[in-house]
Amino acid sequence: MKKMLDKELRLATSPLAWVFLAAAMMAFLPGYPILMSAFFIGLGTFQSFQAVRESNDILYTALLPVPKRDAVLAKYLSVCFFQMVGFAMMTAVTAVRMTLLKDAAVYRTNALMNASPVFLAFALLIFTAFNVCFLGGFFKTAHAIGVPFLAYGVVTLLLVTVGESLHFFPGLRFLNAPGGERMGLQFCALAAAACVYALLTVLSCRASIRRFERIDL
Amino acid sequence: MNVLEIQGLCKTYPGFYLDNVSFSVERGSVMGFIGRNGAGKTTTLKSVLNLVRPEAGEIRYFGLDLAKHEGEIKKRIGYAGGAVDYYKRKKIREVVAVTRTFYDNWDESEYRRFLNLFSLDENKTPAQLSEGMRVKLNLTLALSHKAELLILDEPTSGLDPVSREELLEVFRYLRDQGVSVLFSTHITSDLEKCADDITYIARGRLITSSPLADFLRRSAAEGAGSSLDEIMVHYEKESLYEKNAG
Repeated sequence: MKKMLDKELRLATSPLAWVFLAAAMMAFLPGYPILMSAFFIGLGTFQSFQAVRESNDILYTALLPVPKRDAVLAKYLSVCFFQMVGFAMMTAVTAVRMTLLKDAAVYRTNALMNASPVFLAFALLIFTAFNVCFLGGFFKTAHAIGVPFLAYGVVTLLLVTVGESLHFFPGLRFLNAPGGERMGLQFCALAAAACVYALLTVLSCRASIRRFERIDL
Repeated sequence: MNVLEIQGLCKTYPGFYLDNVSFSVERGSVMGFIGRNGAGKTTTLKSVLNLVRPEAGEIRYFGLDLAKHEGEIKKRIGYAGGAVDYYKRKKIREVVAVTRTFYDNWDESEYRRFLNLFSLDENKTPAQLSEGMRVKLNLTLALSHKAELLILDEPTSGLDPVSREELLEVFRYLRDQGVSVLFSTHITSDLEKCADDITYIARGRLITSSPLADFLRRSAAEGAGSSLDEIMVHYEKESLYEKNAG
């Protein structure tokens, strides 16, 4: 699988996927829906899938001396790789905002979501939406990317709306404290989101393998 | 010994049915696979590569079941489906650098030899090559990992007469080395120059799979013609008037 991941990064990944990782830095922006940074990382990966379709990558991969299912597994692994790099960058930004910049006026008066463990939890849910809606949808045909990306966009819009407005609900104001409050609860939410990410990604990958095995290339 | 055995292959598409196709390829033989456009040649070849999922049938390479030993089998075979049509904007050097890592049996000297033979420049992209040169690139990749069986879909289409003759010479050389070749083509004169066996498919059904010399002798005796072109026309040509009447 190491060879397959290497092949994904060297042949199938669009340079834009790397560029869009910089969107993780958008989590520094005050007065901006910072959950969109997770969406943009997905958008970067989507660029790779456009390149995959144009370069006939799926056919090339299916002809390599590996089981057909490995073509799917490699795609999931490379997408998760980008998501984890993006997540690590967002975690670093969150840590800086919650410590060094916790007293910055722009964050104290920020009407939108502040960076916190719950922000990271929602970012993981957006990555999950990408893996389920986009990747799962793509492997129904191994070429159509429009409808799966639209589905990902709609689910992400809902998640961003909920995430960004959560702290306006009674009793949830603590979610937007720049320095963090009730951190135990917030880390529990992050752990739960990590479990959802892992579980649904694995289930989506299994379903995609089943579908891909039935596709005529 | 057979390097490839296909038993009872069936596949349905709207308006087309590949009907119970069975044949085998012997070690060290060149088999031509002929039929009209839409006869089922590509569907058959894609099925034996697991690119298309057949509804029924058994496919065995070197005595191994394709479904259970796909990775191992693909290391021992080479496939070229006409011209290279992947990563057209990447340099050949970059694509080969990745491809070779998947083959323990990659032979760099063979690769260099075929690059020279076919006058291919690694620093070009497939998009910068003509159709014929991209066919040669595909063949070079297939020939560089010491494949024991080459499966080629229309490998000579798009090639000039000199390159075609060179390629047929390569087939004969490979056969002498014990490599088997299964290739589909419309250019039946190529088969008459190098094929040992022939498999002929029409409207999804197998007409024959036998030694070429036997098939030609049998067809001549039946009055179907003395060349593959004449035989195919004899079996398959429907007059326009008959079609209109039908």
